[in-house]
Amino acid sequence: MISLDPRGLVNRALLVGVSEYDFTEPPHGVPGDLPSVKRNLNRMREALAGGQVFGERDVKVLPSPSLAEFGQALQRSAREAEGLLLVYFAGHGAIPSGGDELFLQMRDAKVIAGRHTVFHGAEKFSDLLATMLATSPAQRIVVVLDCCFAGNAAPVWEHFDDKRRVLLLMSVQANHRIDAGDARTPTPFTAALAALLDEDRDTTLSDLADRLRGRMTALGLRTLRDDPWEPQLRTDLGVDVLLRSKATEDGGGNPVLPVPVPVPPPPGPGPVLRSFRALLSAPLAPLRGVCATLIGRFRTIVVPHPPRRAVVRVVLPAVLAAGLLGLGVYGLLRHAGYVGDAPACDPPLELRVLTDPDLEPTIRAAADAYLTSDENTTGDGCRRTGATVYSAGSSDVVGALRGQTGAWQEPPDEDVNPQRDIGPQPDIWIPASRAEVDRVEDGQDTDAVAGLEADEEPLAYSPVVLAVPQNIASEALEDRTGLSLGEMVGDLTARDENAAVRRPDPEFTDMGLLATVGLYGEDGRAVARGERLVAQPGSPSPTAAELLCTLPDDDAVDNSTAALVPEFLLRSGVGCDLTTRSPRLAQYPDDVPGVEPTFVRVMWRGGHRDAPARDASAERFRDWLAGERGGGQVFARYGFRSADDQKLLDEEHVAEGVLREPTPLDESAGRDAMARTLDAYQEAGGPGRVLFLLDSSGSMTRLWKGPSGGPGLLRQSLGGLGGQDEYGVWAVAGTGDDPAYGALLPLGPHTRAEAERAVDTGARVRDAEADPHAALLAALDEMRDRGDDRRPQLIVHLTDGEDNNRLTGDRLDDVLTAARTSGVPVTVVSLQSGGCDRDRPDRRIADASDGRCLDADDDLGAALHDEVARTGTGEG
Amino acid sequence: MVRRLAVLLALLLLAACTGGGDGDGTPAASATQDVSGVIVVASGRDVTGKNGVRQQLIDAWNLREQRAGSQFRARLVELPGSADEQRSQLLGALQSRSARYDVVNLDVTWVPEFASAGLIGELPGDLVDGDVIPSVAETARWDGKVYAAPFNSDVGLLYYRRDYLERADVERPDLRPGLTWDGLRDLVETVEARPAQGSYSKGWTTQLAAYEGRTVNAVEAFASVVEDFALVDGDGHYTGTVEELTDGIAELRRRTETAYTLQNAVHSDEAASLSDFAEGRTAFLRHWPYVYPTLYRTFTQEQLGVVPMPGRAVLGGQNLAVSRESTRPGKAAELIRFLTGRQSERCLLDAGFAATRVSAYGDGVRCPTAADAPSPSPTGEGADRVPRDEGGRPAYARTILLPALRNAVHRPRTPLYGAFTQTFTAQLGPLLGDDPPGNEALAARLDEALRKALPD
Repeated sequence: MISLDPRGLVNRALLVGVSEYDFTEPPHGVPGDLPSVKRNLNRMREALAGGQVFGERDVKVLPSPSLAEFGQALQRSAREAEGLLLVYFAGHGAIPSGGDELFLQMRDAKVIAGRHTVFHGAEKFSDLLATMLATSPAQRIVVVLDCCFAGNAAPVWEHFDDKRRVLLLMSVQANHRIDAGDARTPTPFTAALAALLDEDRDTTLSDLADRLRGRMTALGLRTLRDDPWEPQLRTDLGVDVLLRSKATEDGGGNPVLPVPVPVPPPPGPGPVLRSFRALLSAPLAPLRGVCATLIGRFRTIVVPHPPRRAVVRVVLPAVLAAGLLGLGVYGLLRHAGYVGDAPACDPPLELRVLTDPDLEPTIRAAADAYLTSDENTTGDGCRRTGATVYSAGSSDVVGALRGQTGAWQEPPDEDVNPQRDIGPQPDIWIPASRAEVDRVEDGQDTDAVAGLEADEEPLAYSPVVLAVPQNIASEALEDRTGLSLGEMVGDLTARDENAAVRRPDPEFTDMGLLATVGLYGEDGRAVARGERLVAQPGSPSPTAAELLCTLPDDDAVDNSTAALVPEFLLRSGVGCDLTTRSPRLAQYPDDVPGVEPTFVRVMWRGGHRDAPARDASAERFRDWLAGERGGGQVFARYGFRSADDQKLLDEEHVAEGVLREPTPLDESAGRDAMARTLDAYQEAGGPGRVLFLLDSSGSMTRLWKGPSGGPGLLRQSLGGLGGQDEYGVWAVAGTGDDPAYGALLPLGPHTRAEAERAVDTGARVRDAEADPHAALLAALDEMRDRGDDRRPQLIVHLTDGEDNNRLTGDRLDDVLTAARTSGVPVTVVSLQSGGCDRDRPDRRIADASDGRCLDADDDLGAALHDEVARTGTGEG
Repeated sequence: MVRRLAVLLALLLLAACTGGGDGDGTPAASATQDVSGVIVVASGRDVTGKNGVRQQLIDAWNLREQRAGSQFRARLVELPGSADEQRSQLLGALQSRSARYDVVNLDVTWVPEFASAGLIGELPGDLVDGDVIPSVAETARWDGKVYAAPFNSDVGLLYYRRDYLERADVERPDLRPGLTWDGLRDLVETVEARPAQGSYSKGWTTQLAAYEGRTVNAVEAFASVVEDFALVDGDGHYTGTVEELTDGIAELRRRTETAYTLQNAVHSDEAASLSDFAEGRTAFLRHWPYVYPTLYRTFTQEQLGVVPMPGRAVLGGQNLAVSRESTRPGKAAELIRFLTGRQSERCLLDAGFAATRVSAYGDGVRCPTAADAPSPSPTGEGADRVPRDEGGRPAYARTILLPALRNAVHRPRTPLYGAFTQTFTAQLGPLLGDDPPGNEALAARLDEALRKALPD
């Protein structure tokens, strides 16, 4: 029985790091949290998983478990392992005043001092060994302890008869305490251990221990008694095990760069004393009597070797405090040493939370409340987690999660960049319907680098309603429930022939897509009819909230237009600039699926550096969001219903126009219905036609290069166009006898590559002024001539507005008249700040044609892409 | 265009190779350990169209590497436009490794957080040498070490309508540094007595919506009346008192009185306030240097002027740092040395950024773009409307911008800045609402909330 090569066997590693403790206050608490231990887990996981002995799935990480959780996980790993079982512990270690035992303190650790000190929430090392030996068939069991007094495990091991297959690596010799080091890096012992495990060579445990001792000596690390810090190994003679293997020639291993071992900085005296005073304040007094015997013991240890003046002042009293309880000093040093030059709290782990644009205000309010909640606050008053909530167009998000996760992780070039165009890589995604998750998973690339884990149950519920202006609404219950959307709209137009219906953009918000499911009727057949019902001049409002804010711009429209919006907006959808809105009554169609915000964890390949902590943070936030007292209160305030019974969460304050218990409501949206509806919507108008006018006059020189320049913006927007769409690009420069424009790309169907090539090779700034008047009139003519096929059309004019002196007086009137009568929206992208201010020519042309005016104050790339995508058939 | 760019790059390259003494061409010794490949530079999206100069600097560095036969190249990856989203992605990605960045462009307020969390590495101290404006240089350090190199700076400035003052018969419509808030209020009252025609509405506007802009404006008010205002000590521990918060709140209240302040300011961010000023609704605007070229595209020199903010102004800007995860930290530091060197800073200044180095404001360094490259167009199309001094710098650079930067104050420097600014912004909200509480009551609440956000 000598060295074992466990490769190919069933191996398990259980990495336990207790960085956060529930009880850190005297008299029963442990000395404090251990932020650096949090870093140990990630570091060890990487080091072990890179060595060919353990696969990624063989390594189980357990951040800050309770004793009960630890026990369960230990048994599971022990049972499963057949070759090598490795158990690693980092956290507080404590010893009783007499006897050879070591207690590994878990998250729920408490110390009840007395004649026989009781250690609650701590694993006795002898129990740990007994459990493993009893339950595990593993050929080798390696235990690694990184805690104060780790060496006190050795005598326990000695007393076990069947210890032969157990190998014990301890961070420090018996009865010694050690510094946990800088909170920003792993503890010194684990940092050294992991660095050696990273080295691309065959490494056995005994070899590792040898090199570890050498490395720590070389670094000059010392224990708190100022002795040389010497890791300890205990094995039966000749027993050894391979922990990592050299990568093979074909790259089977993961070469990892050596990581420098951080040396803990010397403590500064000022803050140390302050922290220490806080620590030693009154609560310790009652213990003095019962622990008196310990004081003498530690005094003899500490005093003879004062390491440095600053440390004497720190360590002596700190050790006395620790000695009173027989505890390790990891926590104390966090207050007394490292934190001397940093605030008490670590910057928290950041969660990136992506949601639907119409859910953003609610989720943001929830996140704000969570950040300052007790659940997100440690015993030290620190925030556990930070969170940033943002949103992006729903079909862009689905498209990116399906087919662009690689580009999201590593944008390949300036044209395809979801980091810029959608936003941060989410850790959490909260779409408005579970069906969106299914749509992603159904069509996701096989080489996707993001995986989704969706909750089965939604967080809340809100039906999509037909919000009808009160003056044309029916208050009769039978008109407001139990009918299909088609029937309701039919009744509405029968009551008022001028009544209209609008819905938000189905590609931008799930609210619009859910409404469209109802519009297209059973089996999604009534596409054309559904689209006729919601036909409107110009583009649909991007979100439901904006739709409700846009309608009051024109009282006549507001009073005669019903809106398909989620019910919750009737309560929370305020905040528009115009506060006078037509009051509305909600009607509850029985064939429109409702909004069901669903919590989805997104995991990125390679993004596992802090996986346990990130998982735990996400889970805590999820639990809070789903809880009645946490997220439940926010969803109630924002007008949502319970996902369980569809009852209003706040039954006291029911918004005007809302029914308490409307029935029946449609069931959840299905993946197929959503996908089919979106496809049908995109094809409803058939492929589109887009003509780009690219100002190429001399003044564009400084607005030409890079993704924010004219050609760059144009290229980015090509993603909104599909192979069926027709589009072309005109370069606009030239006045007088010089032609006002020239075609870079003729109007017609193109592949994206072909179009990009044409822009790349053809687009040039010319040393000439531009004549936007002539170019726009020609473009409007061209589109009018081609418009008989009823395709959706769009003209995009990218310009710096430098030559708008040719767009004044009669010339401007010409263009405005043509724009108004052509039926072709003109979207102007003004590359100067304020280019879309009221009364500017660009703004007036956009308004006259029902197009949009975008200027440098907007997020131009994303906004133009959305505009073009509304006309084209590309997805994302 | 292509030819001109080539000339520019060649000039930059030449300058970089022969520049001697400005530190641009000295590779870091540790670069020899680096894994060759692409250095990914993550930076926020710049919607003002100025990414051109950043990209050009990176192009110039790449060309230099190529000529030297090196396998290293740098590539710019743009992040979302919103600063909150940039911070979230940079933090989340560096903490988890969900994306790989070698160099990150950080807002100055984020440096303590990223350094303290161990996400960025220490840089050679000489990257921030004596040439860097002292107030700006402080933003690069945390815990006594250099973690970032200032790329471009920013500072609050007061833009004003010279023509409005003239119309109101103000004796000296060309304002000078040293303007006080009382002086500004007098000027507003004078203008109000003979208001401009058209869209004019109120004296001044600024950014008071519930985001970073409100924090900036509040810190400027607080720092103007509280001596050595900091709110935190050098380690980031909260040191504020109810008394100083009371004084600060009183000053912020005075500055935002509805008699002088555009109503829309309470809901305004940078874009909204710029738009209101550009449309003539106010005579004064608090804004950043980057709108200087923009405003001169709207207004003539007879219409527009700029002075340092009365009282104290907040320092902004972005700093470049090397991610701790980078496998090419030495070369990344070399790139940063190039991008933040004297020549590059001068190019950034000419393009409209606030340069971080004193030398950029002097006569010793020139940027090939402005000085030596052919003018954009012989026809005068796109002629530069930015007033420039004899050295080709924006005319206000030496006299207004540099002194303002030197005199600027920091926002609290703490690794918990995110929690600070969120708390500060939210707690000051009621002051700008319909029924504002008293100074002391609000100060007590603010103090309590800040203690919770920045626990000892």
